[in-house]
Amino acid sequence: MLYQVLEAIEQANGPVSLDELSQRLQVEPGALEGMIAFWVRKGRLKDTAIAGCGGSGRGCTCSAYPNGCVFSVTGPRVITLEPPDP
Amino acid sequence: MTTLDMSFPQAPFHYPPPIETELNRLTELFARTPALADAYPPRWLAIQALEGDEALIQDIRTLGGPTVAAALEESLERLRAAYGDDLDVVLVDQRYRFVHAIAMQAVRRPSTPPMTLSDRIDRVVTNRWLGIPIFLAVMWVVFKLTTDVASPFVDWLDSVVSGPVSRWALALLALFGANGGWIESLMVDGVVAGVGGVLAFVPVLLMLYFALALLEDSGYMARAAFVMDRLMRALGLHGKSFLPMIVGFGCSVPAIYATRTLDNRRDRILTGLLVPFMSCSARLPVYVLIAMVFFPAHAGQVIFGLYLTGIVVAVGMGALLRHTLFRHQPQAPFVLELPPYRMPTLRGVWRQMWERTSSFIRKAGTIILATSIVVWLLLAIPVGEGEFADAPVDQSAFAAVANAATPVFAPLGFGQWEASGALVTGLIAKEVVVGTLAQVYDGAEEEGAPGDELATFVDDLSGIAGGFVTAVGDAVHALPGIVGINLIEAEEEPVAEGLAAAIRTGFMASSGGHGSLAALAFLVFVLLYTPCVAALAANRHEFGTAWMLVSLLGQFAIAWLAAFIVFQGGMMMGR
Repeated sequence: MLYQVLEAIEQANGPVSLDELSQRLQVEPGALEGMIAFWVRKGRLKDTAIAGCGGSGRGCTCSAYPNGCVFSVTGPRVITLEPPDP
Repeated sequence: MTTLDMSFPQAPFHYPPPIETELNRLTELFARTPALADAYPPRWLAIQALEGDEALIQDIRTLGGPTVAAALEESLERLRAAYGDDLDVVLVDQRYRFVHAIAMQAVRRPSTPPMTLSDRIDRVVTNRWLGIPIFLAVMWVVFKLTTDVASPFVDWLDSVVSGPVSRWALALLALFGANGGWIESLMVDGVVAGVGGVLAFVPVLLMLYFALALLEDSGYMARAAFVMDRLMRALGLHGKSFLPMIVGFGCSVPAIYATRTLDNRRDRILTGLLVPFMSCSARLPVYVLIAMVFFPAHAGQVIFGLYLTGIVVAVGMGALLRHTLFRHQPQAPFVLELPPYRMPTLRGVWRQMWERTSSFIRKAGTIILATSIVVWLLLAIPVGEGEFADAPVDQSAFAAVANAATPVFAPLGFGQWEASGALVTGLIAKEVVVGTLAQVYDGAEEEGAPGDELATFVDDLSGIAGGFVTAVGDAVHALPGIVGINLIEAEEEPVAEGLAAAIRTGFMASSGGHGSLAALAFLVFVLLYTPCVAALAANRHEFGTAWMLVSLLGQFAIAWLAAFIVFQGGMMMGR
């Protein structure tokens, strides 16, 4: 089942929503969240809203905001595949 | 007290036999080791150890001693021989299969899940054909809000800065005996004209941040990204590129850093090159100032057109680069979670508005203030006739330096040292363009400001309060105009006065009488050239010096070309 989640994301043609993915895999949304969290811990998925510029180094006018820049839009949650470790 | 004795049916759960064998072996061993058995449930500890929990494995080695550690290592070796490095995946997967099997038997769900309110709204908002028109309509409302509704407050603040605030500054200087000299010039022509001229646009930014906060907190911004993703994919671009671009509406710097969400370096570079074309909020004061001077009846449309132009140029350039420099980049798929729609809270919206606006005000107190002082200093240094702080502005060091850049902008219709100088200082930060225009034209206007010298402090205060009430009234009347209902009597195009008149005269002179066309070309140039040095620094930090230079020169070339097309094309069309 865990590999099916990775495969489903890999084969997605365009962005899919979590609801869509859970219906496609016939998996409870709560279980899907857990499986995604597992792959995030394993480094195969990256689960992030848009990164702010907190801690982004010199030259960033938002460096005054260590928890993220005030201009970072509250974007959608994005989950992406990460290349497997060599 | 009574307790309820509840018993639940037990569902047997087992891992695959080779794993169960090793688990049983380890569980027994841990149970026989008091230091471990007292600290952890043995079977749980065995499962965690096989899943590779480093901290617990260390505990087992420490508390269990060499015999237990060796037994654990042997179990792991045997299982790795069978399952490779995916042993933890097998264990976790088994548990999910078990849960899934129970859920399938125990939970009955309708074959098609019931539509929530969010689903119903999304059927329209993210519809293949309606999504983009709705996105454009939303943008239209945002920019009508930022111009029509905010402009009465801009006028009010502008009159406060150029009137009472300037008078108070002069009175304060007189109190210390510092009036009449270069200090007065620095305070009035430098600080008040430069910083005050920019701060007058705070209402515009408050309104923009209000609209953005509503869109973000309601959940619409995520839909905008979803809708644009489809369009970008259709053009061969990476859909995820639009996410940093949406951040770019606020500020280019975090947008460049937001490219880190993209998977490979070339996608990040490509998006980093496109992000600065999205119109950041710092450019808005320039748009509002110029649009109000030259297109007062259509300022909203002009600003909307500029934002749209930014998106079109970014997407167009992206498609071009994707098919040339950045060919053969596979598109990585991703999950984009659309949160349910929510009613934005007053507190949340206010927090975002305040945080973003206060960041702008801080910038006014630092970068913009410093630049205003440097510009004043250059304006105060005479190159030809006159003395320090008392020379005609067109004889100043600033005019001399800016004049050197003037020929570059002459074919674009704004080959005047005032506009060239403002564009050069605009590299520091875009708001500075407004501050510099206010300074150079204020200097050119000379005497007359800051208005009624005989007004008392009480007169000023009552004037400020009265002006605010009038601004509120005008803003309320402007609200229905967003949807095309005009409650305000159609006015003649207002006669430009003060700064506006000076800007108009300057553009008319440099364009051979085609001031509006030159102003439009100027706006397009401001939209497309480098946002600020901070954005360049972010670009260098993320992609290196070479790509930063590509971005700087590329944007300048595109901005010049686009402004050239607007001005020369407009001239050819007889405007």
